[in-house]
Amino acid sequence: MIATNYKIAYVHLTSKIKQTVVALMGVTFGISMYVFMNSFMTGVNDTQNTLAFTSMSHVHIYNDGPADNTNLLKRVYGPNVLGDVRNAKVIQYVQGIKNPGDIIALVKKQSEVIALTSQVNINIFFRNAANKINGTLSGVDVENENRVFDIAHYMTDGNWNDLKYNPDGVILGAALADRLSLHINDNVNVLTPDGVSKTYKVIGLFQTNVANVDKTKAYLNINSARQLLSVNQDYLTDLQVNVQDYGTTAPLVNRLAPVIPYKVESWQTANQQLEAGSSLRDIIAVAVSLTILMVAGFGIYNIMNMTINEKIREIAILKAMGFSSGDVTTIFLTQAVVIGIAGGLIGMGLGYVLAVIINHVPFKIGGLDTLPMAYRLKDYILAFIFGLSTTLIAGYLPARKASQIDPVDIIRG
Amino acid sequence: MENNIALSSAHIVKYFYQPEPFKVLKDLSFEVEKGKFVSLVGKSGSGKSTLLYVLSTMDTDYEGELVVNGEKLTGKSRNQLAAFRNQHIGFVFQFHYLLPEFNVLDNVMLPAMKLNKLSRAEIESKAYENLKLLGLEEQALKLASKLSGGQQQRVAIARALINDPSIIMGDEPTGNLDSKNTEIVFDIFRRLAHERGQTIITVTHDEDFALKSDRIIELSDGEIVKS
Repeated sequence: MIATNYKIAYVHLTSKIKQTVVALMGVTFGISMYVFMNSFMTGVNDTQNTLAFTSMSHVHIYNDGPADNTNLLKRVYGPNVLGDVRNAKVIQYVQGIKNPGDIIALVKKQSEVIALTSQVNINIFFRNAANKINGTLSGVDVENENRVFDIAHYMTDGNWNDLKYNPDGVILGAALADRLSLHINDNVNVLTPDGVSKTYKVIGLFQTNVANVDKTKAYLNINSARQLLSVNQDYLTDLQVNVQDYGTTAPLVNRLAPVIPYKVESWQTANQQLEAGSSLRDIIAVAVSLTILMVAGFGIYNIMNMTINEKIREIAILKAMGFSSGDVTTIFLTQAVVIGIAGGLIGMGLGYVLAVIINHVPFKIGGLDTLPMAYRLKDYILAFIFGLSTTLIAGYLPARKASQIDPVDIIRG
Repeated sequence: MENNIALSSAHIVKYFYQPEPFKVLKDLSFEVEKGKFVSLVGKSGSGKSTLLYVLSTMDTDYEGELVVNGEKLTGKSRNQLAAFRNQHIGFVFQFHYLLPEFNVLDNVMLPAMKLNKLSRAEIESKAYENLKLLGLEEQALKLASKLSGGQQQRVAIARALINDPSIIMGDEPTGNLDSKNTEIVFDIFRRLAHERGQTIITVTHDEDFALKSDRIIELSDGEIVKS
């Protein structure tokens, strides 16, 4: 009995092959666009994040400076007492992070932490004769820095690990070197805010493609940086932490923030524009692909309606012969499901092919060679589910209409 | 005596509401015995087709009571009635209404496949038997749409017979056929009634056809004037 309904559905699908193909193409196109759009947007987001994470860790721990305590009178006497304090000064009692050993040990104990590095960041002037440029000299733990930021990957000249054994060597951002007219093995003079001047040798150049970083940043061995500032061997200003999944930093931040007396900041809070950009791109991708799926759904709805209008006499005769409303629904819903599943499978394949092709289109901006693309199973599964539900809804409405046909009306004319 | 009644209707009343309320069938009560070949005749608008569709169980919008094979059908759900029709009532229409994309054999087999009481092989051999009875065994594997009108009507009869229904109903089954094919269809109906004991109820305009049948029920303005 059920097999009979399937057979009728099969005959309907195959006898009007052109219609079936058109409906199939609608679903295929919708699903492939869903797969492609989401792969592309995810690729773009991933690229953006990779780019951003060359100069930014997932969680950043640093000394945020003391709170604004300049109006002490107001704090003690309240707003109703008039007081006048002029030229108040803020004194920072602790420079950098105090007692870093304990904090590092605590952070390392957290299960999701995969890498951690200490930094001594100093705002300085780079000088090469008449050229003076304001920038950041970052004293780094060479190996761990690379683990967190993968900086060796972005070296354009020299070798990242050389920094480890060269206390007087610096690695400059390529754009910074350019502006200072410096090349590898040249000397560069730096001037700290405290007025200390020292000359280092350029042993390497890097280019992250984040213009701001390339134009202002230089790396130094962390011990040399401490020496430059005349501070102890534990001194550090920043702790950079990477976690397993950069999407979920909140639990770690929530756990650490109450117990660490410094600012614990996730990349999402520090760079809300990045987060907003990612989310907006995702929304656009979903909106566009769902729109396409919906159009495909209307296509199926239309074609099913046409089929049912064409076959209205056959439906009436089936009912006269004793086919129930459920049988008629099965017959037409089966057709929709077949179109949905076939369109879904072909659509996933087509979406993959489209993604691979677009992934090979040259795109030479910001360190990219080709357009970025991500291949995630999730996108394919979701596309299939959305596609199938669209066809189910689009097929169910006409199928229900068919099942409610009164055979007497049709046969008597 | 009771079990010799194939169909009985009691006080059937039906209204049409469009374009304005109109009483089509006025308190019709009659019985049809098993194995009879009955013709429903009457002028256009007399209500004979309307009555047939009430008797066929497809039209449920009536007052009164309908009993077929001792089973009261008034008040049953549409799906229950569909199942009942599938097993007990065969239909032949003026326009043959075969499924054009199926071959002749599949068309004939459909109601039996729906009933699902016999195996596929049994149904197939039975379908061949019926086609043979109607002289169509040569056409079994042709598409239904490729046959002539007379052949299609005979296929429709073969289909109506596949589940051995106790009643076969026809709505002007010969209305679209020439005299030769009409003759053939009439002979088949008479043989079914007399040799197999199946009850035939057909609406017809064809006076000769009606006169040759066992019984004529004539309607006029929704009332039985001759029975």
